Amino acid sequence: MNRYLSNKKAIILFLLPALLIYSVVIIYPVLQTFYRSFFNWDGLSAATWNGIANYLDLFHDPLLITSLCNGLIFAVVLVVFQIGLGTILALACADPRIKARKLLKTAYFIPVVLSVTVVCQLWIAMYDPTNGLINRLFSLLHIPYQQNWLTSPTASIIAIAFVNAWQFMGYQFSLLYAGVKSIPEQYMEAATIDGCSKWMAHLKVTLPLMKETYKFCFIVAITSGIGAFVQMLIMTNGGPGTSNYTLTFMIYRYAFLESNYGYACAVSVVLVSLSLLATIVINKTFDRNEA
Amino acid sequence: MGKNYRKALSLLTATVLALSLAGCGGGGSDKAQKSGNTGASGGEEKIQLKVYAQHFDEDTAKPFDYAVAELKKEMPNVEIILDEAVQDGYQKLKTYAATGNMPDIYDTDWATLQTFAKAQNVEVLDDYPETAEFKAKLNKGVESKLVAPDGHVYAFPYPGIEFQLIYYNKEIFEKVGIQTPIKTYDQMIEASNKLSAAGYIPMAIFAKEKWITTAFYAGLVTREQGTTGYGDLEAKGTTAMPDPFVRAAEEMYKLKEANLFDANATNTNYDQASAQFYSGKAAMFVNGQWEIYSSTEKLGDKVDWMYWPAKDEAAYESGKGFINGSGAPGGFAVSPSSKHKDVAVKVASFLAQKYGEYKYTQLGSPITAIKVDKPITVEVPPMMKRIAEEVLPNATQYMTPINNVQIKNAIDDSTQNMLVKGYTVQQFVDNINRVMARENK
Repeated sequence: MNRYLSNKKAIILFLLPALLIYSVVIIYPVLQTFYRSFFNWDGLSAATWNGIANYLDLFHDPLLITSLCNGLIFAVVLVVFQIGLGTILALACADPRIKARKLLKTAYFIPVVLSVTVVCQLWIAMYDPTNGLINRLFSLLHIPYQQNWLTSPTASIIAIAFVNAWQFMGYQFSLLYAGVKSIPEQYMEAATIDGCSKWMAHLKVTLPLMKETYKFCFIVAITSGIGAFVQMLIMTNGGPGTSNYTLTFMIYRYAFLESNYGYACAVSVVLVSLSLLATIVINKTFDRNEA
Repeated sequence: MGKNYRKALSLLTATVLALSLAGCGGGGSDKAQKSGNTGASGGEEKIQLKVYAQHFDEDTAKPFDYAVAELKKEMPNVEIILDEAVQDGYQKLKTYAATGNMPDIYDTDWATLQTFAKAQNVEVLDDYPETAEFKAKLNKGVESKLVAPDGHVYAFPYPGIEFQLIYYNKEIFEKVGIQTPIKTYDQMIEASNKLSAAGYIPMAIFAKEKWITTAFYAGLVTREQGTTGYGDLEAKGTTAMPDPFVRAAEEMYKLKEANLFDANATNTNYDQASAQFYSGKAAMFVNGQWEIYSSTEKLGDKVDWMYWPAKDEAAYESGKGFINGSGAPGGFAVSPSSKHKDVAVKVASFLAQKYGEYKYTQLGSPITAIKVDKPITVEVPPMMKRIAEEVLPNATQYMTPINNVQIKNAIDDSTQNMLVKGYTVQQFVDNINRVMARENK
């Protein structure tokens, strides 16, 4: 085995197919997108050099602010719900005293395997202001809190983010649960002998040891929030107006509805840069805490 | 070990080569299937033309099949290969264009035609004899469907200029005590209040689709402006909405505040809105004239349409001739890369004419691009008869379409927002003015 690993030619040869595919499918399109963002291009005609005009226009585009705010809200909802609640549920399911743990684990994961369209249609019905389950529930409990969940420019983004959070909470839960289970039980026993309560032991022992898992979960949740699209498209089509727009929705609009591919490429560059930045910041934050 | 290593290397190389060859060789079979094939058939040259057209439901499949059947009689040597269009905002067609794989004939809209014209993916039809013949057969007032704003002809249209109407349930109106037709904004507000109080949704609207809110607003614009339509908003140097547009926005705001629309309107799709109207939950419904068939089928003689209200009765009467619809170019276009371009132009013109013929003779719709000299073979719904007898002969002006996609999208977004509580006229005006200032420089 060592002979193979010390043979650089063999390593290159075996890596080459994967590297080629990765380059063609990921690196080349990213570079092309960056390059095309400096052009005025409708996707069909010859592109004309535009310098940084697309970026200047973009930074004056009110849709950018709306999209960034919505991306941030989306990411916060995902972090709070998926990681926050996911952690509590993972810790609970790892506790042998909890009954029907297997059933709970399966139940949490079921929404993940459902079609996004089906889930969105289900929630559209539940959010209906007159006949929807949620407003009806408030009425039943005599709580005077009737909302136009999906038509309110302010509440709708939270309502939509919640749908995504609900559907994919099971995914984060499974990662966190695996993280909890990977921690040797002796650590918990030692903490308990030292006088820690169960939850304090989790806080001081389990969670810090799950740093790598959390790093990954945060990256997934935050980049999903920044690039959210499908739920908005299905549930509100980005509306009312443009109130539910995110960066990905902007790309969709400018590229496919307005045939302004150069500008859409500039938005894509911002999206990719933000996702990279978020990943770097999360990595640095977790690594600094480690040091 | 060295021998094994060489074996592994050889195997990997062979696999990579085989995969590469398979990949390179894959395109060969496509060439044989490419459209525009010819072949001998009974001495006459057999021509195959690929046509990209909508063919997904009765409304789209029947006219196409009719036109193709008629074509077989007229040009037996031409075989049509249907490439079914998908409702994807013409993305599939744009992909064909980007990959140089255009069908010979395709059905598309004005926004796509503009992009294709720039990229030379559409044949300019100005000098073809078929264009002159088509022009001669055009119905009154629909020239803008054929001749683009730049003066060129890119496609043969089949529908005439379609427009939007306000449908209402006569039975509900009578029950609630609303006099028809509603002529003024004040009467509409009063009707909305009465209907809301009686537990009805005053007007069903599928505002999840932005075009219908734009159409509703356009109806008010025709009453305030009465002249050129949305085209005014893209005039060079125009950076502020003209007064009639602002007044129309103010009226739309007042109607919203009078609860004319359902609270969930911006999240209501066509199926839901039409169900509200058909089931008697909603008293009015806004949609194009094509809705006549479905509404008649569901509600029989309980349904009728009315003109858009105006500020007073005089404005209402004088505004009847201003139609809430605009004729943008569109229809069957021809690819310049077609091997049989001349035949394709003939076929495109023929298909468009036969589509119109089907709509007129089989559906009784008078809203066709060309005059049809054959008789109607079906019973025409009374609401459609009213259009044929009352609207079309008295139509003084249709709205001009808007060509600028950015301004169009800004109007779509803003009119949809106008249905949301809290969205003001000032926000509406500011949003559109901002885009106009950028686009009309």
